[in-house]
Order: sequence, then structure tokens, then C-alpha cells
Amino acid sequence: MPKSSLEKTVESGISFLSKIFPLQSYLYFPLLNASLFWAIKRTKEWKEKIFSWKVWLDPERVKLKPDDFILSFFSDNRALMRCFEPEIRKKDMASLRGSFARLYPILGLEDPFLSALFHEEMESGDYRKIVKEFDQKVIQAEKDISELKNQSKLIRGLKDFAGEMVSLSLELISQEKVQKVIAEIIKKHVRSKNG
Amino acid sequence: MDKVCPREKAVGLKKGPVDFFLLLLFMFCFALFSSCVSHLREAKLHYTQGQKYSRLYQTEDALGSFKRALEEAEHEVSKRPSSQAYMLKGMTELKLKLWQDAEESFRLAHSHGFEKGEEWAQQVSLLGLALSLEELWVEDSSLRIYIFLIEKSKFSPVTILAAQRYTDAMLKKAIHQEGKEREKLLASALKTAQKLSDEDLSCGFYHYLRSQILSHLADYGKSFESALMAKELGLPTEEILRDNDLQIVYCYQRLKEELSSKEWEDFREKYMEWVKKWKWKGPEAPSWQKERQG
Repeated sequence: MPKSSLEKTVESGISFLSKIFPLQSYLYFPLLNASLFWAIKRTKEWKEKIFSWKVWLDPERVKLKPDDFILSFFSDNRALMRCFEPEIRKKDMASLRGSFARLYPILGLEDPFLSALFHEEMESGDYRKIVKEFDQKVIQAEKDISELKNQSKLIRGLKDFAGEMVSLSLELISQEKVQKVIAEIIKKHVRSKNG
Repeated sequence: MDKVCPREKAVGLKKGPVDFFLLLLFMFCFALFSSCVSHLREAKLHYTQGQKYSRLYQTEDALGSFKRALEEAEHEVSKRPSSQAYMLKGMTELKLKLWQDAEESFRLAHSHGFEKGEEWAQQVSLLGLALSLEELWVEDSSLRIYIFLIEKSKFSPVTILAAQRYTDAMLKKAIHQEGKEREKLLASALKTAQKLSDEDLSCGFYHYLRSQILSHLADYGKSFESALMAKELGLPTEEILRDNDLQIVYCYQRLKEELSSKEWEDFREKYMEWVKKWKWKGPEAPSWQKERQG
């Protein structure tokens, strides 16, 4: 079956990133997803610092939500409720507040970078793994991106990727579907690379 | 056929090389003038663009524009230092949270004749000090500085940030307290947020802060009203906008449990009009939110 323009564009984006980050394939989806998110939001002006991302909403402020807001965040989402049932039942706010600080930017505010960074855990519903690995994984991503020497090359590459994606009139397709296509192609790429 | 006065023609012929020289001189002066004004003009242009992006919640674009504005303002002050150039440089540095640089720029703007420069520099300096104290866990001192800035500063970028840090610090204290002490802290924070939103009705961010405090007080009706005002007036970033939307949904859910059936009916009718206006997918699903699974 011939490849669609979307698949071809995503593959060229992956091919570009694999040259820049040959060993950090975990960054492909967050970077491409964040590029796509911002590109769709503003098709006229490309933001130059796609990777100047941050954890959405000051983490300190996330910790300041009222207990009831936090409880409601967990109990309104059936998957979360199942996962954190013991803490919800005991109203263990210290533990729930800690988990909330990590999960709210991803599941509540839907940060495009972070939700892609924890895409696999989200798909498998392993929210405890997100909580456990959040700090370490986010710090690692920040370190890997900031240590890249040729940052302008990365910006140019992501800019080209975003430009091509926007030209495909992706606003007509659901963003979730596009994200699935990107994630699938990245998985295939990583599998074939690992033999 | 055009009539040409013989005298003019003669003069014109005689003045040929002079005209050429004048033209060259004019072009040189024009180029020099445009290079001088263009940096300031470009800086203003990027700064305005940055503000526009901020209003549209396009944080990263706004940052990019402010960085470009700063580059242009730096060129301008190095070539033609003036109160206006330093002031613009300081304003841009504030947007980029470069407190010390902003303080220095406002001082230099003052030395070039900008009257308020000294006062602004002092306020930025105090804000920088409070932020440093907070990082060093000297929270009471930083809180006092924020209160001072909220009460005294007429410089809105400083007031807004001081209000945000003050509210966060008060909520942090309140979370660790119970009973009357907690109520006292929240009442004090609410009074400040109320005063700020009364003084600047058009600032959506103050309404957002008010809504967050009211949520701690479990006053969901008023928290909803404030969040609604904040959404309508506009918020500074995409993430704050989304957090405010989730606050609206949260209040809606709480009010559903709290209100009598008649009150709920009235509320829901009005609420659904807002949902339609915002093009939300449903009463509990903002337009940007993904479909929930499970």
C-alpha cells in the first residue's frame, strides 16, 4: 500500500531526529508532538524555540490546589480511580497530592510534550509508573535537549517538519488520530532499528 | 510638450554635479537615520508583537518576539542611548524575567531623563530580592515585600508578579493550617485579590487568582463567577487558560451537588449558553480536551 503524505512527512521528521539524537529515540514523539501542537495552533508564525518547553503550570502552583479539587481529579477519571483506589479510599492526601503534581500537567492540562513523553504509560494506563519516573525522565529530557550542540539545526528541522504537517491541512483530521500515526511510525522505526 | 524655462534649464545643467552630491548626501543621511531609528522601531514592533502573542496565549511565540525586541533594543542603546530605548529595553527584560538587567535599564532610562525610571528600578530590584529570598526559604520576608509592592507599585508588570507570588505563598501556608488560622490566611489573600481586581477590572489574571482562593474556601458560586470573568477578560498563558477552564468545570460539578433543583436549572441554562459560546464539546469538556477513556 502506498504511503500517505502524512506518513512520509512523519518518517522524514523521524529520520531527521534520528541523526540528531541517535541514542535518544524517546525524544522523537515528544518533540514531534509538541511541534505539531504549536504549528496547528498558529500556522502563520513558527515559534523558534520549540524545545524551550517547560512543565505546564509552575509545579509549585500545581501543589497548591485544594484537597477536594485533587480528590475530584482522581475520582472523575475511572482509570485513575481504579489505579489510586487505596489512597482515595483512605483520603491519603499527602500521597495523592504528590501524584497529582505529576499527573495534572499530563492528564489535566494535556501538555503536548509531557503527554507524549509518557505516551506508553498513558496507553497502558500505568499511572503509577508516570508518578514514579516523572522527575527522573523530565530532568533527563531537559538535559539531553539542552546539551545538544547544534540547537539551531534542531529548530530548523522541527520547523520544516511543522511546516510540512501544516501544509497537509491537519486541522481537518483529529489531532489524536495524527498523534497515533506519529506514535505508530516511531514505534516501527525503533523496532526496526533494534533489529 | 512640457515647457522648460531656459533659465531653470541652464541652472539645472550647471547644478548637475551638485545635485548628484546632494542626492548622495541625502541617501547617506537617510541610510544613517534609518539605521538609527530602525532598531528602536524594530524593538517596538517585536515588543508589541510579543504582547499580542501573550494575549493570544501563545507563550512561546511571545518569548521569541520579546527576545528579538531585546536584541534590537540592545543595538539601539549601544548606538543611540536614550530614555526611550532604555525604557523599552527594561520593559522587554521584565517580560523575559531578567530582573537585574531590567533594574539597570530603568536606572539608565532615568539618567537619560525618564522620570519614573528610578522608581521602577527600585521596584524591580525589590521584586528580584523577594524572589531570591523565597528561593532561600526566607518566606516571611519575601511575603512582606510582595505586600509592599502590591500596595505601593503603580507599575503593572511588578504588581501582577507580586500578586501571583503573594497568593501562592498564602495558599501554601493555608494548606498546612487548619481551622481559624487557615480561614484567616485565606480571607487575607482573598481581600488582596479582591482589591487588585477592583482596581484593575480588566485584568483577567487577578480574577483567576481570586477564583483559586475562593475554591479553597469552597465558595464555588463565586469561584465560578471569577473564573468566568478571567476567561472572558483573557489570561496570560495557555496553561493558565486551561487550568482556569478546569476550574470552571470543577465548580460546575460542585454546584450540581450543592444547588437546589430550581437553582441548578437556572444555573445550568445560563452555563450552557457559555458552553455554546466557547464551543466546548460539552458542559465538562473544554474544546482543547481529549476524549476521556475508561
